Amino acid sequence: MIGFTEQTTDVYGAQLSRRGFMKAGGALMVGFGLLRSGAAEAAAANTSLRAFDASLPGSWIEIRPDNTVLFRTGKSDFGQGTIYTAYRQIVAEELDLPFEAITTVVSGDTDVTADGGGTFDLLGHGSPNIRKAAAYTRQAILQLASEHLAVPADQLSTHDGMVSGGGKQVRYGDLVKGKDLKLTIPVSGDLTSIIGLAVGGNPPMKPVSSYKVIGKSYKNSIIAEKVKHQEPWVTNVKLPGMLHARTIHPPTLGSRLVSAGKVDKQKYPNAQVIVKGDLVAVVAPTEWEAIQASGQVAGATKWTEWKGLPGKEKLYQYLRNEADWNATPVQKSRKSAGDVASGMKSAAKVLKATYELPYMKHAPIGPTVAVADYRPDGVVTVHTHTQNAQALRGELAMMLGVNTGKVIVKTYAGAGHYGRSNGGNAGAEDEAVLLSKELGKPVRVQWMRNDDIQWSTQSPAAFTDIRIGLDGNGRIVAYEADHHQPAGQDDRPIGAVLAGLPTMPAPSEKGGMLTSIANGSADPWQYDAVPNLEERYHGTFQIGQKASPLAIGLRDHSMRTPTQYQQNFPRELAISDAAALAGADPLQFRIDHAKEERLIHVLQRLREESAWQTRPSPQPAAASTGSTPVRGQGVSVMFRGGVYWACACQIAVIPATGDVKVEKYTIVVDPGIVVNPEQLKRQIEGGAVMGISQALYEEVAFNESAVTAADWISYPILKMNEISEIKVVLLNNPSVGSYGQGSEAANALASPAIAAAVFDATGKSIRRLPLRSVYVKELLKA
Amino acid sequence: MLTITVNGKKREVHSAEDTPLLYVLRDELDVTSPQFGCGLAQCGACSVLLDGKEVRSCITPAVVAAGKEVTTLEGLPDRWAKQQHLSPAQAAKTLHPVQEAWIEQQVHLCGFCQNGMMIKATELLESKQNPSVEEIKDTFTNSGPSPHLCRCGSYVAIIEAVRFASTLMAKGGAQ
Repeated sequence: MIGFTEQTTDVYGAQLSRRGFMKAGGALMVGFGLLRSGAAEAAAANTSLRAFDASLPGSWIEIRPDNTVLFRTGKSDFGQGTIYTAYRQIVAEELDLPFEAITTVVSGDTDVTADGGGTFDLLGHGSPNIRKAAAYTRQAILQLASEHLAVPADQLSTHDGMVSGGGKQVRYGDLVKGKDLKLTIPVSGDLTSIIGLAVGGNPPMKPVSSYKVIGKSYKNSIIAEKVKHQEPWVTNVKLPGMLHARTIHPPTLGSRLVSAGKVDKQKYPNAQVIVKGDLVAVVAPTEWEAIQASGQVAGATKWTEWKGLPGKEKLYQYLRNEADWNATPVQKSRKSAGDVASGMKSAAKVLKATYELPYMKHAPIGPTVAVADYRPDGVVTVHTHTQNAQALRGELAMMLGVNTGKVIVKTYAGAGHYGRSNGGNAGAEDEAVLLSKELGKPVRVQWMRNDDIQWSTQSPAAFTDIRIGLDGNGRIVAYEADHHQPAGQDDRPIGAVLAGLPTMPAPSEKGGMLTSIANGSADPWQYDAVPNLEERYHGTFQIGQKASPLAIGLRDHSMRTPTQYQQNFPRELAISDAAALAGADPLQFRIDHAKEERLIHVLQRLREESAWQTRPSPQPAAASTGSTPVRGQGVSVMFRGGVYWACACQIAVIPATGDVKVEKYTIVVDPGIVVNPEQLKRQIEGGAVMGISQALYEEVAFNESAVTAADWISYPILKMNEISEIKVVLLNNPSVGSYGQGSEAANALASPAIAAAVFDATGKSIRRLPLRSVYVKELLKA
Repeated sequence: MLTITVNGKKREVHSAEDTPLLYVLRDELDVTSPQFGCGLAQCGACSVLLDGKEVRSCITPAVVAAGKEVTTLEGLPDRWAKQQHLSPAQAAKTLHPVQEAWIEQQVHLCGFCQNGMMIKATELLESKQNPSVEEIKDTFTNSGPSPHLCRCGSYVAIIEAVRFASTLMAKGGAQ
């Protein structure tokens, strides 16, 4: 066979090519070819949009002569550990290799990964890419082995990195040794979009019943690296000649720059001020000088005044009476059923209530940081911590007015920020790029704590009006909800906005996906026995956006369970309220209105696992006065990412002080296939704690001009001595056939369960978050 | 010029003496495990041991550390090796039991706060052999300038890891 030029064969739609022999090494490289259709064709025509030069090694998977494997993913790690655990397991499983054979994970960086997309829904929309790439690869291996062993492929099987059949066997590594093999698999999509490229076709997948690697608790390799301080954090990136910068953000969300202050050169001889439109920054060779000088310059910088926000005290008044809910059409749930008006008319009792959620912060424990290195040839490399490196690349290219080929984004470990950068930027990246371009040197921008709370995006506030009609038997005969929420995703890089440079448009009635102010269904309806149902979704502009001369205002963004939290809290609390009105146990009430067996099973298990007391709320000894703790229980459910979740919270309230303490949080989950039980359990525990924090503490304080929360005192989160007993029950359900996804649901579930438990304990309904003692005390008095 | 002993080595410091220790460590001495979280001593991401006591390096002027011993995450293995009188060969392959426990219990989610958590755990376990869950919660919440905060919600895992580390330490380490 020596001397053949290139031979290509078809592997379930993928192309396997052999380009001759190599003297040393050899590998099977799995690359990608864009499908020639629609948007993909346009993308393919613009070669700069391709993450990979074809001359570079494989885009997805490399099988090496020593039987080890490298795989690449455009996703990164935000503490889920998925790319180091579940993704490794999926690749190992589909390739029939031991977990340990997957020795290298290349992730995130735009110049060495192929598919892009956001670091979210990693086992949902994210996993088919890597799974299919592995499945195609296994088929290619079978074909190579068939030729090598002279045994028909259908008589061969794979196991532990070996192919055997016809009494013969061969290691994968021996099939690739000394050969230059390339498998090109079909992909389509838009690389710099929020979901990136998708692998096409349907290569044969391994049957779930024969899984050996999926389902086991392999450790997350990155944890040991971090514990030993061997994993480079984004905060530790240092480049030769690098300068440190601090941005001086305007004092309000609508101020324009009047004049930038000057550096006190006596004190800070090496610092300088850079101004780009309304973007002001101070740059110095050392970080401490930059911090001190920026404080001094900020004090000397003058801005116009601005007021255009309702202030936190008037938030819900503003949302109900002043926000423009007519700017975008009202959406209706696809699940709407029956005739709600006549159902409601026939009802024996009607619950009518309003549920309100405040703005909340992602509040990463470390503020956003990025290092940009803009070179004379116009190529800029950005070192950062982003959930979506390719989308960030697109945003930075747009800001600079250049082709995406001029922008490289490198990703590193950093502080989790729970959705804030799933559309690209986390905050500091664009500012670092502008400053590096201006100065011709690498620039590191790190926001201070107050910047990160006051100038980042937030989870939008919302309110929902719900009416539930009960028939004479206490069953729901009609359910009607009007969900109101300002636009939920604003991915404009803030430095570019301040500098007056091009960005994607602000969310508006004209916007498309991710730039629209339309509101829609995000919390799938679960009570299929309800005959008459209508859910409506009302959208509007971000608060302050239209009034702000900079079109800024309170910018919103995905956080963990975006919009679903805003819709699930009212629904689940209202279902508990309706159960109380019906005199029914709220857990059984849910079962009675459900039809889906998985949901019913999850609720039944929850009843056992949480030691749930079956009875109506409020509990017999409920009290809304006194300084003795009163106890209560609450339940909630969510369907997210193909997974059924239910949680029960047992709490204690001291009416006289309003103190709410969660004593036990039990969560039962049917995720379908559990890929890695230990990692999933840790994710859920973390989500539960963050969810309790959101329920008890979190709201963004703001006045008529600006976010006034600025630190961990003014934006408190849960502390270690406030955590409850947390019990996680995983129901592995392989018959579902898909991987569980959406462990962030553990966050969202806490709020409606805790609020229902407060009612159970006190007999008073509290339908607004957070359940801070000062509010609870006041509402119990009312 | 100041001299500070960092992880067992004497280091000369040229930064101004009122520079917070955090920037001296990270930027001048390239000891990067302490992280900037808030700069206000409100979170604990920047924690280091100063003569065995946990301090927040973001608000501690470098001069306070002059002539003293600073231990960071990088220095925990050596600290344990010295305490246990391990041979250099043993020391080279030994992590601090707190680190072993953090790996075994798979504590990190994003892990940005965990430097400070491991420092706090070390301080606690050097003074108390077998802390109860309540003592662990109390220490991480009420000792020092502020509670140690974790935004990812790893508190359950931290408590389990501190308990696990205490059993490892009682046995003289992971071996």
